[in-house]
Amino acid sequence: MHPDDLALFERSLRHATATHSGAGLDAALVELGWREALDSDAEVAVSLLFELQGAANVTSSALGRVIAQGVHCDIPDTTAVVLPAVGRADAPGRSDGGRIHVDGVVTGGRDGWDAALVVAGGGDGHLAVVSDRAALAVRPIRGVDPSLGLIEVSGILTPGDTTRVVDWRAGVALGQVALAHELVGASSRMLDMACEHALGRFQFDRPIASFQAVRHRLAETLVAIETARAILVAAWTDRTPMVAAMAKAVAARGARTTARHCQQVLAGIGFTTEHDLYRYVRRVLVLEQLLGATRTLTRDLGTDVLDTGRVPELLPL
Amino acid sequence: MQLDEYRTSLDHWLDDHAAELAPSYRGVGTMDQQLDQLSKVKRSMWGAGWMRWGWPEAVGGLGGSTLLRAYLGEALTTRDLVEPGYWSMPEVLVPTFIAYAPAALSAAMVPAFLGGDEEWCQGFSEPGTGSNLASLSCRAVRTADGWRVSGQKVWTSLAQYAARCLLLTRTGPLESAHRGITALFVDMGSPGITVRPIETMHGSLEFSEVFFDEVLVPLERTIGQENQGWSVAMDLLPYERSTALWHRAALLRRRLQDLVATAAPGALDPAAIGEVTQLMCAFRARSRVTQHRLAAGERLGPETSVDKVLLATVEQALFDLAADALALEVTTGDDPESERWRTQYMYSRAATIYGGSAEIQRNIIARRLLNLGSDR
Repeated sequence: MHPDDLALFERSLRHATATHSGAGLDAALVELGWREALDSDAEVAVSLLFELQGAANVTSSALGRVIAQGVHCDIPDTTAVVLPAVGRADAPGRSDGGRIHVDGVVTGGRDGWDAALVVAGGGDGHLAVVSDRAALAVRPIRGVDPSLGLIEVSGILTPGDTTRVVDWRAGVALGQVALAHELVGASSRMLDMACEHALGRFQFDRPIASFQAVRHRLAETLVAIETARAILVAAWTDRTPMVAAMAKAVAARGARTTARHCQQVLAGIGFTTEHDLYRYVRRVLVLEQLLGATRTLTRDLGTDVLDTGRVPELLPL
Repeated sequence: MQLDEYRTSLDHWLDDHAAELAPSYRGVGTMDQQLDQLSKVKRSMWGAGWMRWGWPEAVGGLGGSTLLRAYLGEALTTRDLVEPGYWSMPEVLVPTFIAYAPAALSAAMVPAFLGGDEEWCQGFSEPGTGSNLASLSCRAVRTADGWRVSGQKVWTSLAQYAARCLLLTRTGPLESAHRGITALFVDMGSPGITVRPIETMHGSLEFSEVFFDEVLVPLERTIGQENQGWSVAMDLLPYERSTALWHRAALLRRRLQDLVATAAPGALDPAAIGEVTQLMCAFRARSRVTQHRLAAGERLGPETSVDKVLLATVEQALFDLAADALALEVTTGDDPESERWRTQYMYSRAATIYGGSAEIQRNIIARRLLNLGSDR
């Protein structure tokens, strides 16, 4: 992207995420050409939107679009993309004897969809199917973060003419990178809020930011965030599913560290709904469970290293 | 010379010369053996030209990107040919030396250090001056003959082997703090210098106390301006946290690979291996960005404290795992491989202490990167 276009694009995204969430943000993204940007420069489109979305604590159905991009499925705006069920990274559909069992979610609390893209695994590979909405049962998920607008989607489909073979790992990988950016965005915002509080809150006639115990928590938090940023740079350079999964796991672990330290620094006020911190604490708990929980991603990587006896040789200078 | 070409040709060359470059000992070796090995590899790399790439022609180099130097140390460390802490001492000392020393002095002195004919040491810390470097008190007095230096340094790595020392001295009143410091380049053979090695908990004589008693240092051995030694120190410290760490990470990767290959089936928890692998890749990603910034001529600063905190975290996590999975080797094994695991485990305890402690790095991050103001 040309630097001028990039600056304009970022400004528009910043404005959109500051003023809209859910269906409103979806509409704003169509308006400002985010989907075209996703086609032409996925790194710019994904990294900017998801960091801003995380920082502003807003929601959209963009994660589904990212997965559709990753599996190379061109679908209209009115088609939702079904993500794996919470806690899972395998495809939301399972092919079994000519039928597809669907168990997944869509994000962004969106209502205006008439069809859904479902990727199904089983047998030799993965198939993408487009289903009528009527064939699927939906249930809004409240859980710990109702404002994320997760909707549970389930049903049994019959593959039709529109079925095609896709590379699900590529879709998940791009989605994991997007989530890692969202977690980094949310973490950065938590750190900003905690620093602001630490500088403004006086005890013993000094800002609490002057106490080493507080400073070191915040420094530790920046290290966690910078670590996630570093591995995200690597994920865009390397572009393998392995590094994408690492980025998601590292960013989610970093978000936990961030939430813990920032909550402690914000202390009493950060434990109430009178400060915004709780929104982020709740949000990152759920984001960590999308497209593979940290525990699973980490154990899978370790199992791979132990089975092959090889530590991956990544990122040549 | 481009990096890809350098990498391929160097790898071939190292494979072809593997036998002659290999250490003459197994496991850790004695300090003397380690220093002989260091000198052998440096001479060989300088002689064959590999070590000259990435250094300016003015000091005997062949020019080219600093990435070539980063790769050389990585390749040698990965092959277990050098200890990265010793290997990367030129990475810490020489860039600042070239920037601040008179050009003729650089041209005369640096090639011997890069080429393995002599070692240098870094005289910064003192018994009363650990984290608070600006309080140093080793005094240099200007006389008609030159500087007269009296005082003491400590934690001086390889001092007993070093021919020269980049020394920070107090030239203003003690209250002048960072404004009254001057950097000098001292011949370690000068009369009045006494070196007393200190044995570390892992049984090495890696660092020493160094005593200065009226040591004469010529005025033309002043590095930078009189009373401007603080800027020399500030220029140097980020180099402790850049290429040196890239080389150290190559050792950690190698040891993780060894651990995976060595540990008994079931001794390693997949979740723990997964986490260390993630951390190691994250460090590599971070340090890689730092290497590319350095190569692009950017000035490194407080952001390298993040690299240091992360590297220390990875190093301790890795050797904590090793101490569990190879518990018998680390605790009671007496063969050379066990001794190496034990030595490196114990050395990893210092990763949060040396080169600016974990606490100092966090102070730097809080003040300089998060703008949290003074801690007083």
